[in-house]
Amino acid sequence: MSEKEIGRKWDRCLADCAIKVGTGLGLGIVFSVVFFKRRTSPIAFGTGLGLGMAYSNCQNDFKSHYVLHSNVAKEQ
Amino acid sequence: MAAKILPVVKFATKVTIAGGALYVAYDSGLLGGSKEGSVALGRAKAAIPPAVEEWMKYFGFELPATPKIEFSPLNAWNSGVQKSIHALSVAPSTVSDYTKQGMQYAKNHLK
Repeated sequence: MSEKEIGRKWDRCLADCAIKVGTGLGLGIVFSVVFFKRRTSPIAFGTGLGLGMAYSNCQNDFKSHYVLHSNVAKEQ
Repeated sequence: MAAKILPVVKFATKVTIAGGALYVAYDSGLLGGSKEGSVALGRAKAAIPPAVEEWMKYFGFELPATPKIEFSPLNAWNSGVQKSIHALSVAPSTVSDYTKQGMQYAKNHLK
């Protein structure tokens, strides 16, 4: 991968991380207030969920350059 | 009759609120792939200044202007490595220049 491409991937990765952690935090707060009587555990769970989604997306993005794609002809 | 229905109504309201929040997050692409996430961040960044201005007009006071920071971490991230390697790469020619100058100075003084 060229350096520009890596830079762009890192930019996307960090932006995505910020969005997902924020979303997880927000949804965790909503669920904690609505269902779980304002405990902190749903908030931590939501934040962790967001972090995990961001990590998985970043991993797939960085690996996608090296993954082989093939076209398999369907058997008739 | 009302006492029996009320818990059900409460629970239904809670499910609606939580489900609505989840649906809004899913619909605006916040839970998708990397590209959708950065697109959503761009949209949010573009939407914040007009919203802040509207709120300021509504409340009638000015927020202090954001200070302009000249330092950009994006550009300065590799600057240490770049400067040191550049110094290393021009070191032989710099050293030879200084040696020549020193020899010239010594010759001039010995005459």
